[in-house]
Amino acid sequence: MTEVNGQTVKQDEARKAILSSIRAHLATSAPFDADWREHHGYASEGVAVWEPIRMAMSSAALAHVFCANLESVGGHCTVVADETEAAKQVGKIIDQLDPRRIAISNSELIGRLVERNAAVEIVENAHAEYLFDCDLGVTSAQWAIAETGTLVLESDRESHRLTSLVPPVHLCVLRAADIRQTLGEILELASRDLSRTVTFITGASRTSDIELTLAIGVHGPGELHVIVIAD
Amino acid sequence: MHLTSETFDQNARDALRDPVLHGALRNLADNFVERRRAAIASVDDWEGLREKARVIKEQTLCHLDRYLLQFVENAEKAGVKFHWARDGKEACGIVLNLLKKRGAKHVVKSKSMATEEIHLNAALEAEGIEPVETDLGEWIIQLAGETPSHIVVPAIHKTKAQIADLFVDKVGIEKTDDVDVLTRTARNILRQRFAEAEVGISGVNFGVAETGTIVILENEGNIRLTTGLPKTHIAVMGIEKIIPKFADLDVFLKLLPRSGTGQRLTAYQSIITGVKRNVTDEGPDEIHIVLMDNGRSRMLAHPVTRQSLACIRCGACLNACPVYQQVGGHAYGSVYPGPIGAVITPQLIGISKAKQLPYASSLCGACREVCPVKIDIPELLLHLRAEITDGTAGGAESNPQRKRKFTESLAFRMYGFAWSGPVSYGLGIKAARLMQKLVVRDGRIGKVSGFVAKLLPPLGAWTAWRDAPAVAERSFREQWRDGLGNNSQWSVVSGQ
Ligand code: SF4
Repeated sequence: MTEVNGQTVKQDEARKAILSSIRAHLATSAPFDADWREHHGYASEGVAVWEPIRMAMSSAALAHVFCANLESVGGHCTVVADETEAAKQVGKIIDQLDPRRIAISNSELIGRLVERNAAVEIVENAHAEYLFDCDLGVTSAQWAIAETGTLVLESDRESHRLTSLVPPVHLCVLRAADIRQTLGEILELASRDLSRTVTFITGASRTSDIELTLAIGVHGPGELHVIVIAD
Repeated sequence: MHLTSETFDQNARDALRDPVLHGALRNLADNFVERRRAAIASVDDWEGLREKARVIKEQTLCHLDRYLLQFVENAEKAGVKFHWARDGKEACGIVLNLLKKRGAKHVVKSKSMATEEIHLNAALEAEGIEPVETDLGEWIIQLAGETPSHIVVPAIHKTKAQIADLFVDKVGIEKTDDVDVLTRTARNILRQRFAEAEVGISGVNFGVAETGTIVILENEGNIRLTTGLPKTHIAVMGIEKIIPKFADLDVFLKLLPRSGTGQRLTAYQSIITGVKRNVTDEGPDEIHIVLMDNGRSRMLAHPVTRQSLACIRCGACLNACPVYQQVGGHAYGSVYPGPIGAVITPQLIGISKAKQLPYASSLCGACREVCPVKIDIPELLLHLRAEITDGTAGGAESNPQRKRKFTESLAFRMYGFAWSGPVSYGLGIKAARLMQKLVVRDGRIGKVSGFVAKLLPPLGAWTAWRDAPAVAERSFREQWRDGLGNNSQWSVVSGQ
């Protein structure tokens, strides 16, 4: 216990020392601040950034822009009319990949779309150790950003943090109605009821660490498939 | 073995003679500079965004104590544990203590300049804990026993062939020149490390005061694994990483990827607000944040040096810098190389240990031009040069050039002042025109020697290294004011 107390006391000391150092140094700076601000400019009410007036876009148009941007970063994107079509498309992708094991999140939508059959093992909400042996992870996404082709995953609404990350292929199904045009809109939506973890995903895992040459699939999935349901 | 900042001059000369290094750095300008240019075109008002970011940072730093406390309070409410560290040693001690208490032997790390700065890996290894770097570039240099030479692409100084040899030697693969094979090798080996890791250590890009959120950007997915798989997540962050509002992320998430790698967004952003609510939820059981000062609060003491703390570590100034492009990162002898390294390192480790760094620049201003938060790096360099020459920093060791100090520092201060605003620049130009009558030859200010150098001590050493264009008889600004803007005057001007 004493050690714990020793730790706490030292921590309190460090906290106080850092805060008072910040305050003391800011006070030293104060006499120079006005002059410097005159040279560099200082807008105390903040700076207005010019934005073009954006036309409101239909969800079909948003889906189109989203797909184009996702494909520009190497993702594969299909827009389908409804859930039945989505299920077919999911089946098609699974056939192509021919996985032994599929991990799916706890999303109800995904539960409905992934067909169970004896040939493949399907695990819902798989444990971390298990995920390393899965060939495909299927999740939904809460939102998407059209202008960047980004999927937005909120951890409080679905358990998909690792399912979307550990298997070598990630398949994501989302509704066109959940696509927004800009990053700003999404930040606003996400902040209303902020999940413990919000993950933005834009394309497949990548690196340029060796001679700035692009390599795909370094730690996360090397393939990203997205199905957008239009209805 | 590792180079130090004290010998930048010699390090740089050696680097210039290294053809392999030049081969490795060759792609930097073409790749990053071009990609950045294309990416910033996708923002409607890039300049407005930069200005907004600069003002947000300046305002936050001016009230840093308040925002830090707000950040801590909100994150604590969400279950995060905080640890304050005055310096690197204290930070390493805190991390070590956390690991020991959990009996952790397997630790995965994602790229973090803050942990590089405090040499956390060495501290852990000394206590028998093996930290595994999981960022591909960081892993490569860890295998090689080297230090990063770029803050975004740590192994930029190594060629593919060198990396292949390293893998053959250390992990026993067949020799290959296929980047995909090298990458896959790393993936397979590191997957095992992730699976067995008890603790993950990461850095932080932004801490949001309003919500107590930390935000981390990446492309590889190793940060998501580091922060998502192990039971315990420890984040080490400098106290300057705070931004006030969640909505401010709109500004910084637009600026950072575009400036750093020329992407509109990096592949992944992890936006983490506290620990999980239920035991069955995904994610670590505990999150610890180590808030580290380590010389940062000192930089708040002047508006010029305070700018250093606005840096979001995008690396754009390195990529744009003609000095960095030639000598690479190791010559700076610091984890922070390039223009930002030349201003941060002397402030972090003490100016007497890095006296040459503020001179490792031609003051061309390319860094200021690209910096997403508009840090005036040339102004900072001049400020530090002035501190070196007037001895306000760096201890009182004897200096043979002592006599020159006052005049030289005055010159740097005036030069810095002159550059920082149009009015003072105008005044400075007029003064310069009078002064240069003594030193101009053939329209250039060349090496000043002999009698003139004695008359004008400030220019003696300085001009030995560089040529500056002489100041024109009448500046463009003056000509414009006197009617150059008026079309009828054009013939007069062109006839001069
Ligand atoms: S100083 Fe500016 S350009 Fe350089 S790394 Fe920092 S934010 Fe980027």
